[in-house]
Amino acid sequence: MLKITNLHAQIENEDGEAKAILKGIDLEVPAGEVHAIMGPNGAGKSTLSYVLTGREGYEVTKGQIVFNGEDVSEAEPEVRAAKGFFLSFQYPVEIPGVPVLTFLKESLNAQLRARGEDEISAPNFMKLARENAAKLGISNDMLKRPVNVGFSGGEKKRLEIFQALMLSPKFLILDETDSGLDIDAMKVVAEGVNALRAPDRGMLVITHYQRLLDHLTPDVVHILADGRIVKSGGPELARELEADGYDKYVGRAA
Amino acid sequence: MTKLMTATPLEMALLKDLPRQDPVRQRLLDHGMPHRRVEEWKYSDLRRLSGPVESQGKISVKSARTLMSVPVAQKHSPSFMAALALSLGDEGLAFAVAAEAQETLSLELSATAGRAHKVLRFELGKGAKLTLHEIYRAHAGAFANILIQIVLGEGAELIRVIEQDDAPDALLVVTSDIELSPKARLHQTTLGAGAKLARLETHVTHQGEGAEADINGAYLIAAERHLDQTTFVRHCGPHGVTREIFKGAARAHGKGVFQGKILVEQGAQKTDAQMQHRAMLLDERAEIDVKPELEIYADDVACAHGNAMGHLDEDVLFYMRQRGLSEAEARTLLTESFLLDPLERIPDEALRTRLLGQLQTRLRGQS
Ligand SMILES: Nc1ncnc2c1ncn2[C@@H]1O[C@H](COP(=O)(O)OP(=O)(O)OP(=O)(O)O)[C@@H](O)[C@H]1O
Ligand SMILES: [Mg+2]
Repeated sequence: MLKITNLHAQIENEDGEAKAILKGIDLEVPAGEVHAIMGPNGAGKSTLSYVLTGREGYEVTKGQIVFNGEDVSEAEPEVRAAKGFFLSFQYPVEIPGVPVLTFLKESLNAQLRARGEDEISAPNFMKLARENAAKLGISNDMLKRPVNVGFSGGEKKRLEIFQALMLSPKFLILDETDSGLDIDAMKVVAEGVNALRAPDRGMLVITHYQRLLDHLTPDVVHILADGRIVKSGGPELARELEADGYDKYVGRAA
Repeated sequence: MTKLMTATPLEMALLKDLPRQDPVRQRLLDHGMPHRRVEEWKYSDLRRLSGPVESQGKISVKSARTLMSVPVAQKHSPSFMAALALSLGDEGLAFAVAAEAQETLSLELSATAGRAHKVLRFELGKGAKLTLHEIYRAHAGAFANILIQIVLGEGAELIRVIEQDDAPDALLVVTSDIELSPKARLHQTTLGAGAKLARLETHVTHQGEGAEADINGAYLIAAERHLDQTTFVRHCGPHGVTREIFKGAARAHGKGVFQGKILVEQGAQKTDAQMQHRAMLLDERAEIDVKPELEIYADDVACAHGNAMGHLDEDVLFYMRQRGLSEAEARTLLTESFLLDPLERIPDEALRTRLLGQLQTRLRGQS
């Protein structure tokens, strides 16, 4: 489903200086699988999520991102979104003045139009929103408020998963969706994510903690250090990291 | 214009239009058309922006209701453009609402190419209510100068909604002179788009005690257009309230001007006046100039003003695009939600819905 080969990427800062962050990533996530990415702070995990979703300023200098047989490494963010990429942001952004439901209805319809499908009717959209909100314990009041404005850290993360449920993407990237969640919220979010597991859907779960992975049981765990994948293994790898830390991998990458 | 300066073609034409003994003619000879060295016209150089306007134009006023034709009262006005309209306005139109009566009036003012001046006068009796909707359409090549005089009697209420969307090479100046008697209420909202130069200049005087004025506006300025909203509120009576909320956005090569002055005279104790302007530059090549002014001679008042200027946030745009919106759609949605506030405050439901719809159309029509 997603195949990344020898991916190099650099970030351009405001002064126009380029800084290489991803230094040759090879990663394949077949449909139906959940892969976890762990790694020390600053390793390039969020950078990878932005490169995959086409953020401006994150330039692919070498390598390929192939999604369902198609190289998408040059596509605009909205084009990739319509193809099914969804990023649950590590730091969700506030959209002043735009209510959650308005935003999602416009977004969903934009995606449907881009795929040449019919737009969703207002009643069907509302029904879908109510169902998904109930699954995640999101109040009606929250849906009417501007996106993320004044939301607590945990509420923002919950709203990211709500958006994923609403947009029903083909490929999810969760960037530290578990950070800032209390124990109960973690369970609710994990259930939401698990509900999205499907044979035709892939997931990349970036996390620092074992807890979310306990709920999700990933198929593969990768360790990303200094812009490279330095080790891949089964779920036991996450447990090993929990106990021993990244020391030996950071050493190897350097 | 110093005497050494040559008159512009438009000034020459106006000098010919004006009778020899008219004091306005002398003002024009001495100072020329308003230009950037005149403080109130600092950001909107009418003199420079007005090219030759060869012909006489016409301003027609379309309405389902009948307006009375009245002679234009020759009276001095400190505003040059108002004085010019008083001198050259072809006929005055008037509409009066009797005491305690309630009326609705919708006007479409369209100006053809050429020089044209018009004076309109509205009088609201004691406790009268008027909902007034003005649509301005100045066509290509127009130089339209309009003076609106409004007098609100004691406890009268005026809901005034103005739509401005003129041709890109039209010049439009609308000067409104509004007098508020004690306990009168004004609620004015403008939706502006600009023209070669469009200036909506509103003067509000709180003559008596306890009058209230809401003066709001939203504007979205398209490329190569210039919109100037200038308000001057004078509090003469005590316990007056003024609220101004302006929100605007300008696209590449669009220029917006907001000038707001609130003057509180010595006798206007307990005045409560607040003025807020917030704007967004939708492109690096857009320009918005702002001049808020408070001049206060009373010692027991609450007055404040605020101004903020910003851009669309790149992080927000990426977030929205990641969810599937195109960049243009994301920008439109953000701009729309930014501009809504003044329009959502329109007390008349039908007009509120209409202007919110207008904003949508304008946003989607010209991106
Ligand atoms: N806009 C930027 N300009 C310059 N450097 C940047 C920029 N954004 C990120 N970086 C740098 O890129 C590197 C990778 O950052 P990234 O956010 O991808 O790390 P991460 O693995 O997600 O870390 P964390 O676990 O803390 O979230 C860091 O050294 C960071 O400082
Ligand atoms: Mg990160």
